[in-house]
Amino acid sequence: MKKVLLSIFALCLSLTGYAQETGSVLIKDGTVITITNGNKADTDVLIEDGIITKIGKDLSAPRGVETVDASGKYVMPGIIDAHSHIAAVDVNEWTNPVTAEVSMEESINPNDINIYWALAGGVTSIHLMHGSANVIGGQNETLKLRYGTGMDEMRFDGAPRTIKFALGENPTRVHGQGFNVKPRTRMGVEQVIRDNFDAAQDYKKNRQAYLAAKEAYENGERKNPPVPVAKNERMEVLVDILEGDIWVHTHSYRADEIMMLMRVFNDYGIENFTFQHANEAFKVAPELKKNNAYTSVFADWWAYKFEVYYSTAYNASILNANGVKNSINSDSGELIRHLNHEAAKAVHYGNTSKQDALKMITINPATQLGIDDKVGSIEEGKHGDVAIWSGHPLSIYSTAEATYIDGKKYFDRSEDPNDMRLETNPETDFEETDKRWYNENGRHGKTCLQGAKIRFTKKGMKYKSN
Amino acid sequence: MKLARITVLCIALLMVFSLQVRSQSSPAEAFENVTIHTADGNTIESGTIVWRNGVITDVGKNVSIPFDAYVRDGGDSLHVYPGFIDGLAQWGSPDVPDVDTPERPGDPGYKRAGIQPQRRPASLMKAGADALTKAPKHGFTAAGLGLKGQMLPGQVDLFFIQGNKTKDNVLKSGIGVLAQFEEAQGQAYPSTTMGVMSEFRQLFHDAKALNQQEHYFASVSSNYPAPEENKTLEALYPVMDQEQPFYFVADSKENIERMFWLQDELEFNAVLISGKEAYKKADELKERNIPVLASIDLPEEPEWRASQKEEGEEKEKEKPAEEVQEVTEEMRKFRERQQEAYKAYVQNINKLIEAGVKVGYASNGLDLSDIHKNLKTLQEEGNLSGKQILKMFTQSTADVLGYGQKLGDLEEGRIANFTVFTKSFLDDETEAQYSVSNGQIMEFESSK
Repeated sequence: MKKVLLSIFALCLSLTGYAQETGSVLIKDGTVITITNGNKADTDVLIEDGIITKIGKDLSAPRGVETVDASGKYVMPGIIDAHSHIAAVDVNEWTNPVTAEVSMEESINPNDINIYWALAGGVTSIHLMHGSANVIGGQNETLKLRYGTGMDEMRFDGAPRTIKFALGENPTRVHGQGFNVKPRTRMGVEQVIRDNFDAAQDYKKNRQAYLAAKEAYENGERKNPPVPVAKNERMEVLVDILEGDIWVHTHSYRADEIMMLMRVFNDYGIENFTFQHANEAFKVAPELKKNNAYTSVFADWWAYKFEVYYSTAYNASILNANGVKNSINSDSGELIRHLNHEAAKAVHYGNTSKQDALKMITINPATQLGIDDKVGSIEEGKHGDVAIWSGHPLSIYSTAEATYIDGKKYFDRSEDPNDMRLETNPETDFEETDKRWYNENGRHGKTCLQGAKIRFTKKGMKYKSN
Repeated sequence: MKLARITVLCIALLMVFSLQVRSQSSPAEAFENVTIHTADGNTIESGTIVWRNGVITDVGKNVSIPFDAYVRDGGDSLHVYPGFIDGLAQWGSPDVPDVDTPERPGDPGYKRAGIQPQRRPASLMKAGADALTKAPKHGFTAAGLGLKGQMLPGQVDLFFIQGNKTKDNVLKSGIGVLAQFEEAQGQAYPSTTMGVMSEFRQLFHDAKALNQQEHYFASVSSNYPAPEENKTLEALYPVMDQEQPFYFVADSKENIERMFWLQDELEFNAVLISGKEAYKKADELKERNIPVLASIDLPEEPEWRASQKEEGEEKEKEKPAEEVQEVTEEMRKFRERQQEAYKAYVQNINKLIEAGVKVGYASNGLDLSDIHKNLKTLQEEGNLSGKQILKMFTQSTADVLGYGQKLGDLEEGRIANFTVFTKSFLDDETEAQYSVSNGQIMEFESSK
């Protein structure tokens, strides 16, 4: 009977869409970094069926719920990386300056070992982004790092849709210099965006007129049948951007192009946008604030091409001091493993407060992805996405000891097996797979530059993981 | 009225006459004293099989052979099997030509993007292709043939396999439209899996709009612009109307899921081709009523496992310590997982059958010479019996192709497609001596 009930329950779950495995755990006596409500010493966090139900002292575990001792340790919300390319099959549909129709939700590799390594750095969610080859690239997908589940199960349910734009050298190099296709210049980049937004508005008008005429003809209210206007995958997405249903995350570096895009967005009434990388954002911090723009930057990564020579490790701190909601991202399979260090650099260089630095890898990226009502802080009612750290997460000596998503443990350093690769090819030797990390990863692995780099070695932009 | 009667009479007479002519020109043929294996794995010892005009007229133990029959005596040593059917092979397909980068990589045109659902193997096939000559020697008498290419390489045509005469022996054109998650060659859109997904959707939207315009154009007398002819999109109409399935090539769990996503949105019928990880989605395939034409292109056994087997564990122990490779904990864990992955691949077909999925066979590029070795592995490690393998290669594939009543078994009324082997078909020493396809017999010289 129990079995029958269980299977009915499982069936119900599977009918509700991406049924997630959730867990329950009581984490006791840790220093809880709530992010939104200060640090709380010797405090317990109770997660039940994936949701934080209670934060307080001397909580007792409901029957069947495991208790974990975190005394002397820190409990922190799971880190959120607003710019990542791990867990991807392909990153760049680089062949056209505008590819809004493609989506990273169809390019997920749930078995990528990088997911496990990110979990080991206390990361629980990523913004899986399309690459930066195109002015209007593909749609991104916000994921929870439920390692080894499936493409559907990896999705962050309820996260708003987002899309990648890219300004500057990448799109002008790939399309203008590479194929003599507009844009060749920064001016051209602006025009590509405006032209496509205009085309989308025309499309919407024409398509709606056709559908209305079709209905009228079929109801006998119109004499002649209309000429069909086919549904257009690319234009549909652009229309959704214009209508505010898709948030824009733009690969950008220079202050002038950041200003340009804000003007374009103001002209078209686009309100929710984040500038990614934005190495020169510090120059226009007040303007960014005025436009309610968000930024997501590197702590100190620059000079890998001409447009990122003018950079500073104070970028994050200056933006923060100007009231711009800023996050620090990895854009890398290597940096994602220690985003806590990246956040610590804002404290080290720019004297940003520890609390604000931690916000840059938790609640701020959550806000930029529209998931701040669910994750990014430890609050009752939010998702049980937390990590237990051996010491203060901004200390260089601290490590994430365990990482939970929806109350379910996905990483435990004490039980960390030697080999966490899930996809094992029967035909690949151990020795070969062992070398793989060094060949495929490192600081330059799994980045949105990867495609561009490959592009210039004439091997095509295609990037297959594993 | 009178005219009608005369017409009917004439037709009837013509039919009788033509039948007679045909029966006269085509005497019966028979094998006697052979072991006959039916698709379900039963055998008839010292049996006889008779066929005429491409159709089996009698099979069994005590069969009376027509007076005009040309009879071959098997001497009780030959084995007759239903002709094997390859659900999707690329035999005779022209190779994919090299291409240049289009002027606008983002807008390469259908052909350059690999979108050519209108192409027909029957017209493009290389008649003298080696594989077409070899296939009958491996027991194949019929096959669905497709073309090499990218996302939509063309139609799948069902042929009788008769060496270089295959091209003129089409049983049915367009049993399906081949589809796969293959990007355009070189530098052109779509260059990613997500781009291919999007392109499938757009093609259906465009085909739908064109279809609508054609419909409108035909329905009004004047004052309406003529639709532009577009053979590429028109070739998708039968798929949209669910009159023709997509023969969809996908191996990984994720690609099979992507196919499901497209199916939910675009509402086509599908036959899954290859499906190396289909076992992971077996229940859903069953639920969706998607049959699988499965690949038997199995992975090689992990090297360490093969060498362990070869040397035997005893010998390993006797080896001097310095020669024994140290197996670290990490390596051991890796090997465990590799072993599981190997087993899962090898047991794919068995798991599909157990889940109630209809499973036939498709080579989809596997070389004919690799079949025997893989069948051995399926038998030894894949939990498949010889009977199951035989059924998969014959009746089950015929069922998936929609020819389950006509092909795939040896019984009266079926198309005369069978192969005469010197031994059981799974025997290492076996050789095909005769191949009969649509009643046409080919004799092979022994290689010994």
